[in-house]
Amino acid sequence: MRTKPSGIIGYILLFFGIISLILSIPYASSILAFIGLGLTFWGALLLYIKPERYVKVDLLDSMALSTLETINNLLTKLNYKGKAIYLPPKHLKDLKSAKAFIPSKNETTIPSTEELTEETIFSTNPEGIFLTPPGLALTNLYEEKLGTSFTKQDMQYLLKNLPKLFIEDLEIAETLEIKTSNNVVHIKITGSVFQNLCKKTGKLSKINTSLGSPLPSSLAITLTRTTGKPIIIKKTDLSKDNKTIEVYYQMIEE
Amino acid sequence: MQFPLSFWDISLWLAVTAIILLVTSELISPYYGKTNLLINRKRLRQTALTIGILFMITVAIRIYGIITSI
Repeated sequence: MRTKPSGIIGYILLFFGIISLILSIPYASSILAFIGLGLTFWGALLLYIKPERYVKVDLLDSMALSTLETINNLLTKLNYKGKAIYLPPKHLKDLKSAKAFIPSKNETTIPSTEELTEETIFSTNPEGIFLTPPGLALTNLYEEKLGTSFTKQDMQYLLKNLPKLFIEDLEIAETLEIKTSNNVVHIKITGSVFQNLCKKTGKLSKINTSLGSPLPSSLAITLTRTTGKPIIIKKTDLSKDNKTIEVYYQMIEE
Repeated sequence: MQFPLSFWDISLWLAVTAIILLVTSELISPYYGKTNLLINRKRLRQTALTIGILFMITVAIRIYGIITSI
């Protein structure tokens, strides 16, 4: 693995700093001591704050895109017209899992309890398909970073903690705003690392209008876990400069 | 042979370093849109706060010295 430049510079500063500090004692020089102190400190600091391993956004996009294309092709071939319904945790066996139900017709009927308890992929009443949403791993990462489960929290918790998580902790967006009115939740994200992926998935009609790309999907799972209600991604808007993503979520009363 | 810097020299150095680090830490905050800097911001902020607290301790020692000398 290639050594990072900040690491090399850190070691060089540390080396000269320690030499300067040692020399300052026999020469009784406060200037040498200050130089040594400064170099040692900044050397150690550079080594301490050097970046963790980062991957390029392009690589991230490329990895996610082929899976999304497969799902989009599958839904197109099946000719399923309904919007994906993100099912709340009460319908799932494992709280860390997530399921989205896509009905074959343009309706928002939730499958019967028998259909939900059986671990089937295709549902017959109503006709549709169960899929693991593309944002599941992201939502689990949010919970891990926040050290909580969204099922134990409420909307107030999300309003308070989600912007900080996105901006400061995970650094995946520059701003995040959440607004709620009646049963609609509006989330506006700017400067997201997923903006290129959202642009590319915009061409995948079934993903864009139904299941959502990983970021909107992860937020849909977050909302369904928090509110305990089924969620539909009503609309996803990407600004012309690709910087702003606006997603409207609709909560469904069971 | 002894270390050429006194306690007050170290205090001054801590003050200057703390100011530089705290200002840097604030300026590169992701809240100002600086999300493309590849450094561990949390660690930088922790260091800045630690150096700042160390300086405040040296100030407290100085104040205590002044009070007890009266």
